[in-house]
Amino acid sequence: MRILVVEDDKDLNRQLVQALQDGGYVVDKAHDGEEGHFLGDTEPYDAIILDLGLPVLDGVSVLEKWRRAGKKTPVLILTARDRWSDKVAGFDAGADDYVTKPFHMEEILARVRALVRRAAGHASSELTCGPVALDTANTKVTVNGKAIKLTSLEFRLLAYLMHHNGKVVSRTELVEHLYDQDFDRDSNTVEVFVGRLRKKLGVDVLQTIRGMGYSMSETGHAG
Amino acid sequence: MRANSLWFRLIASSAGMAIILLATAAFLLNAIFQQALERNFDQRLRASLDGILAAIELGPDGKPQLQTPLADTRFSLPLSGWYWQISAADSYNKLAASPSLLEEQLTPPETALSIRDKDGVAAFAMPDIQGTHLRVIEQNVKLFGGQKEYAFLVAGNFDELKAEISSFNNTLMAVLAALGLALLAALLFQVRFALKPLVDMQHQLNDIRSGKGELLADNFPREIQPVADELNLLVESNFEIIERARMQVGNLAHALKTPISVLTNEASGSKNPLAGKVQEQLGVMRDQINLYLDRARRAARAQAIGASTEVEPVLQSLARTLQRINSQRNLSIKVEAPPNLRFRGERQDLEEMVGNLMDNGCKWAKSSILVKAMPTTSDEGRTWLLITVEDDGPGIPPEKRASALKRGERLDESKPGSGLGMSIIAETASMYSGLLSLDQSGQGGLKANLKLPMVA
Repeated sequence: MRILVVEDDKDLNRQLVQALQDGGYVVDKAHDGEEGHFLGDTEPYDAIILDLGLPVLDGVSVLEKWRRAGKKTPVLILTARDRWSDKVAGFDAGADDYVTKPFHMEEILARVRALVRRAAGHASSELTCGPVALDTANTKVTVNGKAIKLTSLEFRLLAYLMHHNGKVVSRTELVEHLYDQDFDRDSNTVEVFVGRLRKKLGVDVLQTIRGMGYSMSETGHAG
Repeated sequence: MRANSLWFRLIASSAGMAIILLATAAFLLNAIFQQALERNFDQRLRASLDGILAAIELGPDGKPQLQTPLADTRFSLPLSGWYWQISAADSYNKLAASPSLLEEQLTPPETALSIRDKDGVAAFAMPDIQGTHLRVIEQNVKLFGGQKEYAFLVAGNFDELKAEISSFNNTLMAVLAALGLALLAALLFQVRFALKPLVDMQHQLNDIRSGKGELLADNFPREIQPVADELNLLVESNFEIIERARMQVGNLAHALKTPISVLTNEASGSKNPLAGKVQEQLGVMRDQINLYLDRARRAARAQAIGASTEVEPVLQSLARTLQRINSQRNLSIKVEAPPNLRFRGERQDLEEMVGNLMDNGCKWAKSSILVKAMPTTSDEGRTWLLITVEDDGPGIPPEKRASALKRGERLDESKPGSGLGMSIIAETASMYSGLLSLDQSGQGGLKANLKLPMVA
């Protein structure tokens, strides 16, 4: 899961990035509207946290530009402006959620989780695929009720595949959503991680679709 | 009317001047009339004197004697005030006199005799023995065939003209008094007329202060228009200062929110007792910021009279926004509002009041909230805008509804909110002389009634 944080306050930006990384996300950051708009326009994020009072280009304009260009990425507006007129303007510009400062980090994390989940069409915070269960709220993974330990990259890989349960996910897509923008994108490493993840899960829910990518499905697991 | 007022100064000075002028006029007119009467009287006395001179002759004893008595019988009545007397010019001994004089003798004061006209006639006033006011003329004449000069003196009763004089004086006083009153009335009108622009200015300033007007008019008289212009500049700069202060408070408060977020996040990650203290104080700061932001907004409202906002689009946009905020909950938010219903006030205030009520409704509702706007007529016959927000949540029991509207009260700490919401709505509503009341909804939950001024 890849998240973009657009916030001009350096400290707050760092805290958001840290908290999101701790929550198992890959995070990119931008400090002004122009940079934020460029990243959101060119990179495939799963959710974007957007401040409104940004230098160079303000948040509402950034959001409107994305929406006009057809970008459907869920956007959470994080702002000090708490008037209803601001909220109405934010939602009308295409926001999916709105949090006013000052805020609690847990709230942001919960809202981001909900946004990502909703975008993928899941209602509950717990994603399941056969015997495998992933709780997005506390980043725990169980197989047949037994907890298993995953590295953060393995967790991100599993979470992305489970969010897109039943769909085929290409290697490129995986790379784009698992690593931040500076990562050297060698898709061969993905194969290595998929192999490790299969071994740790111990159940056959992760299929390789030749020439296309990977897919999670509960059919044909060995148990 | 206070002594220290332009009104008093103008009235007092003009009235004083008028009194002095009227009194002088009265005195002068009286003197002129008296003089005219005296001249006329003197003419009659001259006629009598001519009659005496024609009838006088020196008697055998060398004394002058009247040959035929005078026709005028008043000279015969004793002490009638009508006398004639002939005496030696040098010694003033009575030689002959009218019977009316009896044994008395008229001795004119010496100063009176020194002023004579071109005929050698002296005219003066003197009293007789009875105190009757006499008008006297005197002429020194040499009688035919003699060298001796005699003083001829004729006196008339001037008191007989008293009635005429007092009648004239009465008329004069009445006319002057009427003139004075007319002057005073004209003066009052004039002062009122002249001071009216000042009164107008006061009213306009009052309107500005109470928010009914924005600036003073530019059609004041030439003398006070500069003052009005200066006042307008003052009013404008006052508005600017308020606006600037308000914006700065707003900017400060908003700017503080980001650092508070940063501190909150840093502190929440630590188990250090200091972190706990920081968290607690940050909570206080958050509430203070909300409070002062609210006040700054309210200060701006004082000048926002005359605005009008269409209700229906505001309710729709709020419903749309709240639908998205609560998109996971499958809430039904229904708005029933006729088009062209207008709130007399700022759009932002309506948004804040109704938005908070609807947000509150959404927080507590099980499945639906209903927002209605309609005109309503109060007991006094005034038409108000009534906005109701109903939810199907648990509601508030009647005994707790009053405290829900108080500042800082939060009935349930389990839902997020600063505890300012309801009280801010109520305070904003009362600024528009409106009212927020809570009631039981037909859907089972809370029904909030917001009564606001309407554009008819």
